[in-house]
Amino acid sequence: MLRFALSRLLSTIPTLLLVSVAVFGLIRLIPGDPASLIMGDLADTAALEAARQAMGLDRPVPVQFAIWLGNALTGDLGTSIASNEPVLDLVLRRFSTSAWMVLIAVGIATLIAVPLGMLAAWKQNGALDLGIVAMSTLLVSIPTFWLGLMILLTFGLNLGWLPVIGYVAITTDTKAGLIYLIMPVLTLVLHEVGIIVRMARASTLDVLRLDYVTHARAKGLSEGAILRKHVARNAFGPTWTLLGLILGNLLGGVAVVETVFTIPGLGRLIVDAIYARDYPVIQGCLLFVAVIYMVVNLIVDLLYPIFDPRVTAQ
Amino acid sequence: MRSANRLATHILPLALALLPGVALAAPLKVQFNSDIRSNQPGVNRDANSDSVMMNVVEGLVTQGDGGRIVPVLADSWTVSEDGTVYTFTLRDGVTFHDGAALTAEAVKWSLEKTLGDENFPCRTFFDGSRGSKITEIGAPDARTVTLTLESPNAMLLPFMAQTQCGGMAILSEASYNADGSWKAPVGTGPFVFGEWKRGESIQLTKYAGYVPHGEVQDGFGGRKEALVDEVNILVVPDISTAIAGLESGALDILPYISPTEGAKLRDEKGVNVTAEPHGGIVTMLFQTNDPLMSNLALRKAFVAALDMPELVDAVMAGLTTPNNSLVSAKSSYHGEVQKQGYTYDPAAVPALLAEAGYKGEKITILTNRRSAINFDTAMIAQAMLQAVGINAEIEVLDWATQLDRYNSGNYQVMAFNYSNRADPALAFQAIAGSKAEKANAIWDNDEVVALIAEVTAEADPAKRQALFDTLHQRFIADLPLVMLTNNLDVSATRPGVEGYRTLQGIVRLWGVSRS
Repeated sequence: MLRFALSRLLSTIPTLLLVSVAVFGLIRLIPGDPASLIMGDLADTAALEAARQAMGLDRPVPVQFAIWLGNALTGDLGTSIASNEPVLDLVLRRFSTSAWMVLIAVGIATLIAVPLGMLAAWKQNGALDLGIVAMSTLLVSIPTFWLGLMILLTFGLNLGWLPVIGYVAITTDTKAGLIYLIMPVLTLVLHEVGIIVRMARASTLDVLRLDYVTHARAKGLSEGAILRKHVARNAFGPTWTLLGLILGNLLGGVAVVETVFTIPGLGRLIVDAIYARDYPVIQGCLLFVAVIYMVVNLIVDLLYPIFDPRVTAQ
Repeated sequence: MRSANRLATHILPLALALLPGVALAAPLKVQFNSDIRSNQPGVNRDANSDSVMMNVVEGLVTQGDGGRIVPVLADSWTVSEDGTVYTFTLRDGVTFHDGAALTAEAVKWSLEKTLGDENFPCRTFFDGSRGSKITEIGAPDARTVTLTLESPNAMLLPFMAQTQCGGMAILSEASYNADGSWKAPVGTGPFVFGEWKRGESIQLTKYAGYVPHGEVQDGFGGRKEALVDEVNILVVPDISTAIAGLESGALDILPYISPTEGAKLRDEKGVNVTAEPHGGIVTMLFQTNDPLMSNLALRKAFVAALDMPELVDAVMAGLTTPNNSLVSAKSSYHGEVQKQGYTYDPAAVPALLAEAGYKGEKITILTNRRSAINFDTAMIAQAMLQAVGINAEIEVLDWATQLDRYNSGNYQVMAFNYSNRADPALAFQAIAGSKAEKANAIWDNDEVVALIAEVTAEADPAKRQALFDTLHQRFIADLPLVMLTNNLDVSATRPGVEGYRTLQGIVRLWGVSRS
């Protein structure tokens, strides 16, 4: 397994290199530069040139890339143009904020959605199935921005149960941190439940059609025992893979939810950095997101045999 | 339902009571749509950074109401007969936030440190690049500071008062690390810069050692007394969330809302909304190097097609009226001549288009979604232009891209706002110049540039008025851009918040109380 993990990690190096080149090149293809954003409408040609020179933006792009890559290999992702903070510190701090929210949300969503999906499959074409499928379709279809805003207006403004503005890190104050996370987590849970239910239902239906389930029924096993012992683990594999993709995706930042609920997470950092043309932060964030995506999916692959022993980490 | 009620009445209030700050005297809470860039005045800055800094630091002079230059750390000043030596007498009893007294030596050190910083974009206002060159900073005694210029320049004080330049803040040496690098602002303003949680909030606390002077507030000068112990500036990027925050009491002040949002809040929610014009200018720029827009007859047709009162009324939600002059409507130089603006005459458009040889070519108006004013201007203007047969199209860009197009001169027409300028001459200076030397110049006319140089050097108000009158007449005749109106500071406050004003785009937190 260790060998498998190492080979998978090594195989990510070319991917990360490609990601670096693409991100570095693409962001510089977009018009606009940080110097003119700092100078605003006070800019004159000489002052702009001086500012660009001070930021090292006057050098050829390949030279800038080589310098950045060299530093990145030593763990130095540079310094933010906008805030003068080291990019790595900034990314890690913002990531931890997003990670708490996403991990809690995906955990809760999984606990709700997987049983619901299996239940829907078990009662296929019945009223319960119809209800669950309709609900999941609805939840997937509602934009998270609107859903978040409705939750905010309902629980924050109209009922006054939860704080509308602000954020406290869980690591600073667990209780307060959890309270501030209720609404963003609820938004994410509702959205992700919709996605996971559909996958859990589909994979359970596939398993329910297999011969060994028919055989188990013929043996006289109860439906509950069949679902629990014979269907659940086999049906969870595809959902587990989907969870890896969802986690990788969400850990890369949930900018919309973070914006609505004023959470200073990685998604908002990326969006702000793009608007500010903060090249080091954009590069650092996207490289980090790529690493996270790969690591999460590697972990998912390594854990897959737990749910499906037929699959081995080779 | 019963468990929901229990949650509402017992658990959540208990949990909320555990939140930091809730049990303490609640600070005044102000919304910003994004974080500040840095806490170094005028260096790594944007409008939000300027806003915070103007409450924390002070310069020798600043802008009073109506754009007049008024003293802050200076008690008074004199100008030598030849106009090259400015002598400032410092105010008594001023201390930095670390308790150290403000002395002439401290002022000299601070100014030299700032002007020697190659990352300070405004140094070009004082090194001769833009007309004014400080050759020497003197401190002949503990209360006197002198600035010597290479040649007279009436713009020295307005340059020093620019909020974009941090108001040429006087900072204590304690603001810097031993190696000369920036640490944190130790200024003389009514608020002390406190904890900064990046991306989340900025805390300002009342400076107990601040000695207010004067009896009344006067722009960024006059009486500056902090009436609240603490201010929390919270970063809330989404305006819908911010409005919910205002309604719920999580926020007290929304300092930057668009005119349409302001009017809606006032009319539908009964929120206290204030709208005040400032010297910022709302425009549609013409690229006069463009094959089409270089044609004066076409520009005249463009302007004749715009129903200015209707356009401004729609864009500014009825909160202000048109001003077609670069001289701010609030300026003492805004006289009868400046009131003469464009004429709405759609009937004249066909003849003007024929004179221009216009054959329905596409004219692209660039705009952005960051400024609702820019976006709405482009939309409404497009409809008015199309109604008279001008094939206007809109291209929406993100702000950084539009700014890049502005700086490179790569556009035909652009909805664009200029920030407030401390003197009308600076508004003219912002748009005039040689396009060959300055790609973002709008009005490329040597005679006009000479007139602007003359008015920047002139100190006599009557002579300046005559020059501004001439410039305005040339401006209306040449049509280098469409000047729509002065920009507005629109802010919303919760009931009980008294004395708040957003002033020239800057959040003014002194003199604000909350019952």
